[in-house]
Amino acid sequence: MKKHDYLNDARTFYKNAMTYLRKPRTKLVWKRRISEFFLKFLRTILLFGLCFVILFPTIQQISMALRAPEDVNNPAVIWIPEHWSLMNLKISMVVLDYWRSLLNTIRLSFISMVLQLFSTALAGYAFSRLKFRGSNLLFFLVIITIVTPPQALSLAQYLYFRAIKLIGKEVSIYLMSGLGMGIRSGIFIYIFRQFFRGLPKELEESAQLDGASVFRTFWNIMLPNARGALVTVGLFAFVWQWNDAYYVAIFDVSNAETFPLLTMQLINAAEGMYQALFYTGGLDLIGQNVWENPLFLALISNVSALLMMLPLLIMYLFVQKQFVESIERTGIVG
Amino acid sequence: MMALAKKPVRRPKSGGIKGYRRQKFFWAIIFLLPWALGFMMFFFVPFIRSLYFSFFKLQPTPDGLISTYNGFQNYVYAWSQQVTSTSSFRVELINTTIDALINIPVLLIFSLFIAVMLNMKFRGRALVRAIFFIPVILNSAAVTTALGGGEAIAAILEEQGINQIFNLQFYLLQTGMMPWLINFIVSLIDRIYAILSLAGVPILLFLASIQSVPKHLYEAAKIEGATSYEAFWLITLPNVSPHIITVTVYALVDTFLTSSVSTIISNELDKSTRWGESAAMAWIYVSTIIMLLLILAVVAKVFKIGGSHYEEA
Repeated sequence: MKKHDYLNDARTFYKNAMTYLRKPRTKLVWKRRISEFFLKFLRTILLFGLCFVILFPTIQQISMALRAPEDVNNPAVIWIPEHWSLMNLKISMVVLDYWRSLLNTIRLSFISMVLQLFSTALAGYAFSRLKFRGSNLLFFLVIITIVTPPQALSLAQYLYFRAIKLIGKEVSIYLMSGLGMGIRSGIFIYIFRQFFRGLPKELEESAQLDGASVFRTFWNIMLPNARGALVTVGLFAFVWQWNDAYYVAIFDVSNAETFPLLTMQLINAAEGMYQALFYTGGLDLIGQNVWENPLFLALISNVSALLMMLPLLIMYLFVQKQFVESIERTGIVG
Repeated sequence: MMALAKKPVRRPKSGGIKGYRRQKFFWAIIFLLPWALGFMMFFFVPFIRSLYFSFFKLQPTPDGLISTYNGFQNYVYAWSQQVTSTSSFRVELINTTIDALINIPVLLIFSLFIAVMLNMKFRGRALVRAIFFIPVILNSAAVTTALGGGEAIAAILEEQGINQIFNLQFYLLQTGMMPWLINFIVSLIDRIYAILSLAGVPILLFLASIQSVPKHLYEAAKIEGATSYEAFWLITLPNVSPHIITVTVYALVDTFLTSSVSTIISNELDKSTRWGESAAMAWIYVSTIIMLLLILAVVAKVFKIGGSHYEEA
């Protein structure tokens, strides 16, 4: 009797389960859940793998940066330093003249970013929304500025800036940025043009019907809606100016005494090395023959490169939030 | 009807469509003024000078530059005579062009795919986004110079056998896999790293353009029962397509700018007797890119990629 009962229970359970699963609605729900799970699974694996590929060299550098100078040649130390030390960081900071260079670099990058945003956003808007006869021809000139390699112009540009006596002054960079000829300004104009073109025409028309002037339409309606473009272009302008060693070298903007910049200090790192070791007392640790130890010099320039990148990464952690829900906040939806 | 009639009708201040158009032209000129000034001063003048240099033999002397006209001689030199220790300008230019044509489609698909993933909601998204931003930062001449020292470190590590710790090839060989498969995997990983370092900027551009797609489109699609797969093809892709062109232009220019062709031009420029030749090379380089862009524009027109669907109305 009891056996029969169990069997029956099992049968009814199976039947119920099957009817539950056969319902079209549950079928759909389960299908969704399974596909969602697979999506998450694949995404996690893929992103994790790619992040690892990107991070691997950087992790190696960080591990190098944190070991004591006497550990550098120690073959037993591979990943985790035997003696933790901030000595390398200290030396690099002196080599780079870190805080002063950092402040100067932030100032230069920030001002030039604002100027670039100003000039390229205006030009991008004019090329997309304020078309007139011949504006496409002018835009072709923008394309030419994008594709021309900077070294083709640098000689003539140098002679030009020397003639107006701006060589060796940061104003030369600001002038280039403010007049839409800074680092890759052409591509910024292109980005702005594409973004403004993507905004619905009704936005402009309704503003026009409400009696807004062209400038007000641009400032109050179009610009807030192109927030994604503003953030992207601002970010690139900042980072590229930060990393720039080309224009800064041509216009001779960086100067170790009066206006040190991170990039130039980094490139000239080897020269500042001996002095830095002398001041931080690193000389006693490594011995006097620093110049016969290329490994140590390489290590210090590695650490310096890390120090140069670090502020950008920290900044980006805050900026990346701006990439989310940029449209919704403006309250105007096409 | 009554309600409609009672509403005060506001007219554009400047009187009608024609006035508005005139106002638009006026503002277009004001908006373009900074760019146009910069273009005339810092681009056009150097551009013409550089073009002029490319037809001359330049000789720096204590009294200044001496230039003698030599026609297309510089171009002939650049195309058929210039050689470096391992290669030549022509070979590098052709290689770079082919590389660009092969890499850019891969780069586009890859970065769009990653951007879509980074746009989804998941735990640790901020961190993953920050990690994908690292290649953008690393893409700098100063950092590359400094990390050039990294190669010295790597060489010494290898000498001590430490490099074997994460040497994939070494491990795979121990598993007894077929050599061609190992080579394939190792080269694939190298390739992924190369593409990742190029993809930093495209990913951000795509991310920003996906963000600018109106959210209500996705909401409506979800209510109608569309899967995320359908939403991608029918909403994301058409809205992002104008930016595909932007990314292509960027990737093309960036490929050339970071290629060995660009290095050769700079090196020639450093030999102070070769300014004319260097300028000629730069113009061959520019015309190659412009030609590629024109082909791209034709392709885009034929397949109707990149036209804004708001504009055609």
